[in-house]
Amino acid sequence: MSGPWFIETLARNGDVLQRRCIDTLPIRLGRGYDNDFVIDDDYVAASHARIEPDAAGRLVLRDLGSRNGLNHRGKRLQEVVLSGDTVVRIGHTSLRVRAASFPVAPELEDRTFHRWEGALPGAAGILMAAGFALFARWLSDTQYFEFVRYFEALAWGAGAALLWSGGWAFANRLFGRHARLGRHLFVFGCGLAALAVTSLLAATIAYAFSLEAFTRYASHAATLLVAGMVYFHLSTVDPQNRRRYRWIAAGMAVLGSGLVLAYNLQRTGRLSDELYMAVLLPPSVRVSQDHGIDEFMREVEGMKPALDRGRGRKPGEDELEN
Amino acid sequence: MRLPTIAILLCLACAIAGAAPVAQKIPSTGGAAKPAPQPPLVIPPATPPATTPPAPGPGETDETTALPTPSTAAQDLYSSAKGDLLQIRMLLKNGRSQSTVGSGFLVGTGNLVLTNYHVVSQMALDPDVYIGEYVDTDGKTGPVELMAVDVLHDLAVVRVNRAGTGFFQVPDHPVKLTQGQYLYSLGNPLDLGFAISEGSYNGVVRRSFYDQLVFTGPINSGMSGGPSVTVSGTVAGVNVSKRLDGESVSFLVPVRYAQELLRKVAAQPHPPKNFNPLIAQQLLAHQREMIDRLLAEPLSIKTMGPYHVPVRESQQLRCWGRSNFRLEAEYTGDSVSCAMEVAVYVSDSQQTGHVSMSHLYLRSAGMHPLQFSALASGRFRVDRIGASRDTRLTRPSCTEMFVHTASLPLRAVTCVRAYRKFAGLYNFTLLTASTGDAQASLQSRLDLAGVSFDNGMRATRAFLSALGRSEPRGPAQGRAQ
Repeated sequence: MSGPWFIETLARNGDVLQRRCIDTLPIRLGRGYDNDFVIDDDYVAASHARIEPDAAGRLVLRDLGSRNGLNHRGKRLQEVVLSGDTVVRIGHTSLRVRAASFPVAPELEDRTFHRWEGALPGAAGILMAAGFALFARWLSDTQYFEFVRYFEALAWGAGAALLWSGGWAFANRLFGRHARLGRHLFVFGCGLAALAVTSLLAATIAYAFSLEAFTRYASHAATLLVAGMVYFHLSTVDPQNRRRYRWIAAGMAVLGSGLVLAYNLQRTGRLSDELYMAVLLPPSVRVSQDHGIDEFMREVEGMKPALDRGRGRKPGEDELEN
Repeated sequence: MRLPTIAILLCLACAIAGAAPVAQKIPSTGGAAKPAPQPPLVIPPATPPATTPPAPGPGETDETTALPTPSTAAQDLYSSAKGDLLQIRMLLKNGRSQSTVGSGFLVGTGNLVLTNYHVVSQMALDPDVYIGEYVDTDGKTGPVELMAVDVLHDLAVVRVNRAGTGFFQVPDHPVKLTQGQYLYSLGNPLDLGFAISEGSYNGVVRRSFYDQLVFTGPINSGMSGGPSVTVSGTVAGVNVSKRLDGESVSFLVPVRYAQELLRKVAAQPHPPKNFNPLIAQQLLAHQREMIDRLLAEPLSIKTMGPYHVPVRESQQLRCWGRSNFRLEAEYTGDSVSCAMEVAVYVSDSQQTGHVSMSHLYLRSAGMHPLQFSALASGRFRVDRIGASRDTRLTRPSCTEMFVHTASLPLRAVTCVRAYRKFAGLYNFTLLTASTGDAQASLQSRLDLAGVSFDNGMRATRAFLSALGRSEPRGPAQGRAQ
């Protein structure tokens, strides 16, 4: 084993805060200025520890009689044998020592699409968010055209996109190296667009084929989409932990759906979001056949036994539909 | 047995209807928050409230002086009646604190007291929680025992442990009254003390489902159940309600119904233990009559644009129209809604035996079909049918389908809730929206409160079948207007 040696102070998450190259052994550590490696930490002695080779040629860190000593894996030790991955806590500072010959892990394959960073995806994301806001405004607009209402919607859409993505970019800068605001804006824009498309599609399918379940449980699709959006944000922050984030997002989706069901049950006594399908679309969308009045009245009559059973029950103990 | 009577009275009512002009007055809708024990849904006046009183009676000399000398008739009446006048209170069994107060009077020389059903409704519905008590003009109290109720006419008979002096005579034959005749109303207004108020008889109300007499004089809550007598002391009616939006427009239950109820009490060997099935029976009888009357002839058809909509306009069921016509809107929405202005009072928080129907015709020339769909969907969405927390009803059970009537394709939803306490009674709601036009939508709603399942089905079917369109699938029709 030969020098030079690198002393690295580490953050709690393992990031290197400071690295210093020292050519010769022994290396003296402490707060005093006569040390080879000065540690600016009030809990470190002026002359705290020394790194030197032992008889077997291994690198050893020895306590020089300090009050707070050396801590490794939660234990206070008089001396610690340093392999390249041994992290020792001195006072409030975590240290690692590596020789120049330390073998590093092979480089990771770069799957990041570097041209899709920054302004381009950011602009696309803001456009999608603003487009969503404009569409929502237009859809619910029953008054004569007024420019200011659409401008307002545009501002709301862009503002919401910036606020949401800004939060994620802040977290990205904190835990990753870059803010990646453009990517987060793009994820948000895509999420909103997916929400809009899904709800329109669900309403259309429900109305066209008379499949009421598509609108009755629409909030669960939305929950799933929001969880997916969070997954992509998390993966942007730290692309290494995709597998874990998949579980987190799945857990969020299940929790969200569970909350929706519990809320519906508590508020209205049924699991579905609505009492009946209220969507009305243009006649050209319809595919399923109309039924006769007789058939409808037969269905109505079919509800009687369940209602009469419900009469005898206490409030809150009604049968669940669907 | 009651049917012919009502038919005759209806004819009578119709005859009066032809003579008197209808007061054009928007009724106070809902009105669930009005103070107990007045039944909240009351009827518009048969005559405008500001009609000049008839020629002064014998005791009435000058009305303009600040402190008029009391009418001697009222003075005499009160002094001879006060022995038979009672206040009826409902007390919570636990703690014996009063929850509602009303009035009542001893009939003849017996121990039976006539009062309103709404005064004793708590005791009738929840005998485990409430008990009754009377207080007489001397402040003496005693228990009351419920003998019979008539929910539809809002009457009840209770038994007390003392006998009447025979002042209040409920005559066997109908009392003949002439419009303008003085009546004296007795009771304990607002729990302030016993009082007598003078007013005049002003005919029979045509708007209520069951006959009521108009008494142009003050009746305040607490006087409910008290008698209204003629100057000779004959009971003409039982105080029941007043219009909150009018001045001294009050209503009496005709004594005829009290006679029937007293006869029923005389015939029954002992008082019923549980009044809920009896009330359910009366409500069932009411809905039978109500739906029969509703469907006696085919519903009348009105046109809204190209659509034909069924309505029923009668003395009891009145229709009002409205439009959103505002210059800044891209669409027009015209609505017609018809509702019965009275409902049967069951308890403070529950009224039933009610029918209402409404139609909304939405159309737009300028909106994109998708925008119009959003508008129509928003109007069609009713989040809750009745209060979803209403524990007296089961949760709504709904059937939804695309239905084609003879000429109109629609989306139809029927939701039904059952009454927990009254077997055989249901609330029906039918919601429909036409599906044939991308830029016009007819949305209709029928609400039937407190009907049997068969009658609910019958009325729903009649209403649904009557919805139609003059030119099926004429695309431009909806926009013409």
